[in-house]
Amino acid sequence: MAGTEDHRGETSILVDSVSLTYTSTSGSSPLSRFRPGQGRARRTQVHAVRDVSFSVTRGEFVGLVGRNGSGKSSLLRVIAGVEPATSGTVYARSTPTLIGVSAALIGEMTGSENITLGCLAMGLSPAEVERARPAVEELAGLGAAIERPMKTYSSGMGARLRFAISRASHPEILLIDEALSTGDASFADRSRRAMDEALEDAGTIFLVSHAAQTIEELCTRAIWLEQGRLVMDGPAEEVARQYRWFAHVLAEGDEEKALGLLNDAHAENRRQYG
Amino acid sequence: MSVSTETERRGAPAGPWDDSALAEREPFRELIAEGELRAVGVRPSIGAYLRDIWARRHFLVYDARSRVLTKNSKHRLGSVWLVGKPVLDAAFFFVIFGLVLQIDRGIENYPGFIIIGVLLFRYTANSMTQSASLMHSNRAMIHAFSFPRASLVISLALRELFAVVPLLAAVFVMLMIIPPHEFPSLSWLMVLPLVPLQALMNLGVSFIVARIGVSLPDISFGFNFLSRVLMYGSGVIFPIERFISHPAIYEVMTNNPLFILLNMYRTMLLDHTVPPLGDWLTIAAWGAGLTVVGFLMFWKAEERYGRH
Repeated sequence: MAGTEDHRGETSILVDSVSLTYTSTSGSSPLSRFRPGQGRARRTQVHAVRDVSFSVTRGEFVGLVGRNGSGKSSLLRVIAGVEPATSGTVYARSTPTLIGVSAALIGEMTGSENITLGCLAMGLSPAEVERARPAVEELAGLGAAIERPMKTYSSGMGARLRFAISRASHPEILLIDEALSTGDASFADRSRRAMDEALEDAGTIFLVSHAAQTIEELCTRAIWLEQGRLVMDGPAEEVARQYRWFAHVLAEGDEEKALGLLNDAHAENRRQYG
Repeated sequence: MSVSTETERRGAPAGPWDDSALAEREPFRELIAEGELRAVGVRPSIGAYLRDIWARRHFLVYDARSRVLTKNSKHRLGSVWLVGKPVLDAAFFFVIFGLVLQIDRGIENYPGFIIIGVLLFRYTANSMTQSASLMHSNRAMIHAFSFPRASLVISLALRELFAVVPLLAAVFVMLMIIPPHEFPSLSWLMVLPLVPLQALMNLGVSFIVARIGVSLPDISFGFNFLSRVLMYGSGVIFPIERFISHPAIYEVMTNNPLFILLNMYRTMLLDHTVPPLGDWLTIAAWGAGLTVVGFLMFWKAEERYGRH
């Protein structure tokens, strides 16, 4: 999947040898750094993402799957450009939009004021905000509650509003970090339709999830990460199937076997797409 | 589990790989060269950066206004505290220095002297101490979406500027009702151009302090201390220049922009005369200089603000 020579004009994202390393000072006591011979030696490096490369074309719905701490959210932040990679580069056709606009919203303000705030934060002009407002309100489906302060919302209602706002700017490249785990069935339906529309905007969507089922249902392609490494990259059903088997074996406590599956998947991936 | 070495050993079936970086391969090399694909998250040129900030001006204003209005909503008196807290401070300093220590030394309107000093000094001091932890306290937003990070500093400056409006109203009212009453004269209007100059100075200071606060988070203690030194060194609560006999210290102190600024406010509001042109130029030069230097310092480190 790395080489897509026949889609020359349609590459929307290129992730080239991206690594992300955190350096953190460990040690329980802050005094330990003053003890001779210890201080700097106690620094530990965490490799969140290790040398990951792939390219994505327009119209692809890519799932990033992996266990907690596998580096999938870190990779998404690097693709979004909000956190610089330690080495390697991400190239994109247009600025990727991370659904994270919630950080700009203010709980004391009403839902409708927050629509204004969130849309302006994504770079829309005041006129564009007014044009987008009906669609955002419709997608959020909050009814009269849209005029109540956002802090009175349930977590599901808040999630719906945030998702609806982030769709307003019609980004060509949309990055979603497990946004769909909250929300009831009718919203799940509506958001699925919204994402189909997003794909039709000649777009590309990335979805991070640790649930194989979510990836299988929504995505066309999946990338499986484990300890920051790319294990497998291929059709969503195939990757989801192998990942689910791995997770199942691991849950039963058979680490040896799980490791074997991981290595087989990795080897298979290199043979096919290396 | 250690996957890495195991994976490398077993996961390398024999075969001719193309091991070159993706960006070096076709068709990507060409797409990048043509500018179809652009690197994400790298620091833009200064022109593009300024354009980016300008494009978000509506957000900056709306965000600053909303935050000023909702800041005190958890308190029963709400926005009254925007004015209430500094007024209480001024009253406290008046009691200590005016009534207890009797330090006024023949100043005609000592309550007025203190009110102007405390409330308008607070405007600059607040900007400075808040900037030290600004990037840290906004890291959720920095990690949530990409925008020119200088917006955070400008948004803070706007918030403080909006909050200074009720503060100035409080200054005017207090000057009028507290004996020996000062009543509005034409020179009071000169406050209108002076506040934006102070705002510009604060913006420059905020850029510098916010940038330093990222490399050295511990500095926030330092700035708290510095703001106290500045408070005494700028003649905020008593005319400190009358206590100084050392000529070098006297020079430094009376050329400190905050000292000049507070002096100008007092000249307009208490002496009812317009401050000399030299003072205006000095303040404008400090404001412009600090802002340009601060902005460049801040922009240089644009990529750092997203790091953990």
